[in-house]
Amino acid sequence: MKAPAEGTLRGIATFFATFGIGVATYIAIADSGGGSPVCIAGGHGCQTVAESSYSHLLGVNVAVFGIVGYVLLLACALLRGDGARMAGFVLSLVGFGFSLYLTYLELFTIDAICQWCVASAVLMTLLFVANTVRMLAYVGTRR
Amino acid sequence: MSGRRDREARREQRLHEEEQVGAVERRQRLIKLGSAAGFLALVAVAVLIVVSQSQTGGGDAGNIADAAEVDQQLDGIQQNGMTLGEPSAKVTLLEFADLQCPFCKGFSESMLPEVIENQVRNGEAKLTFNNFTIIGPESTPAGAAAIAAGEQGRGWNFVELFYRNQGAENSDYVTDAFLTAVAKGAGVPDIARWNADRKSKPVLAEVAATTAKAEGLGFTGTPSFAVEGPGTTGIEPLGTPDSASDLESALSSAR
Repeated sequence: MKAPAEGTLRGIATFFATFGIGVATYIAIADSGGGSPVCIAGGHGCQTVAESSYSHLLGVNVAVFGIVGYVLLLACALLRGDGARMAGFVLSLVGFGFSLYLTYLELFTIDAICQWCVASAVLMTLLFVANTVRMLAYVGTRR
Repeated sequence: MSGRRDREARREQRLHEEEQVGAVERRQRLIKLGSAAGFLALVAVAVLIVVSQSQTGGGDAGNIADAAEVDQQLDGIQQNGMTLGEPSAKVTLLEFADLQCPFCKGFSESMLPEVIENQVRNGEAKLTFNNFTIIGPESTPAGAAAIAAGEQGRGWNFVELFYRNQGAENSDYVTDAFLTAVAKGAGVPDIARWNADRKSKPVLAEVAATTAKAEGLGFTGTPSFAVEGPGTTGIEPLGTPDSASDLESALSSAR
């Protein structure tokens, strides 16, 4: 199967990374105000997740790691060349793995689902797919 | 002439083929490098997570710590049910919290001691603990156990000691053994009575009632505070304050 043009993949990654920055920033701002993100569909899921000890890693809200990750992924999407292709793949792999771990915690440990976290996990999965295809199809090429 | 052109054409084709082979090899090398870097980065993140979570600790029924510190902090302050302080104090600070909540533990250790020392110990205000069980199913038996301890005048010792020995939420640490160890550490005199009380319908109903009350006040997170006194119109929600001085000034204006 022929891979999409690299420009298309970079455009997709730019869109999802920008979206991701928005979602992660909302979660981080809601948390820093002493509250929690508001679940659009109602329920206590978001506040339960935000108030769990798993919402922080080494004392830092995981959403802050999310913002940094999405910003770096946006930079990789905007840049050309093998460095950006490989960094995009590595970063999105880590982000995808971390999202899997957080989703596992939500489902089986915290017993609550935060829609904002699910949205971020979906975005990170799509970024992982786009960056993986980009790396496998175009790394080492001059295009 | 044609022999020379053929040689040049063959040479160009060979160079082109070599370049293509080189490019393929380079691509394969880069893909392997990328995969290895990705694997190493994943391992590094996994180690970071394990290290971070291992620092949580707590939740160990066989190792209840800080009972003496809690006794010292609350020593000499009257307790009635889940109320700490003089019953006649005109101002009441209501705390809505979940014993499983790590932020509530943080508040209890960093902010409330100042309020207790400056406002509750001298009889200016009283402080009530109200369960707002939002973390998970283990929050309810924990909250009920605190109320049952409160019926023997040790509710606040139970709450403070629970926080100091809190485990990771919903990790199945809120067992009968853990709750009993906390109750004993908190100085609950009659453990058999406490055991019966904490499973009784009125106590469980109180946990549900205070949770409903918190929701009624519009709270969405724990810990949330409210204040009631001569200077307020009924119970005035404060939400989650930023500092102990915010709480203290809210108490002053409620006088």
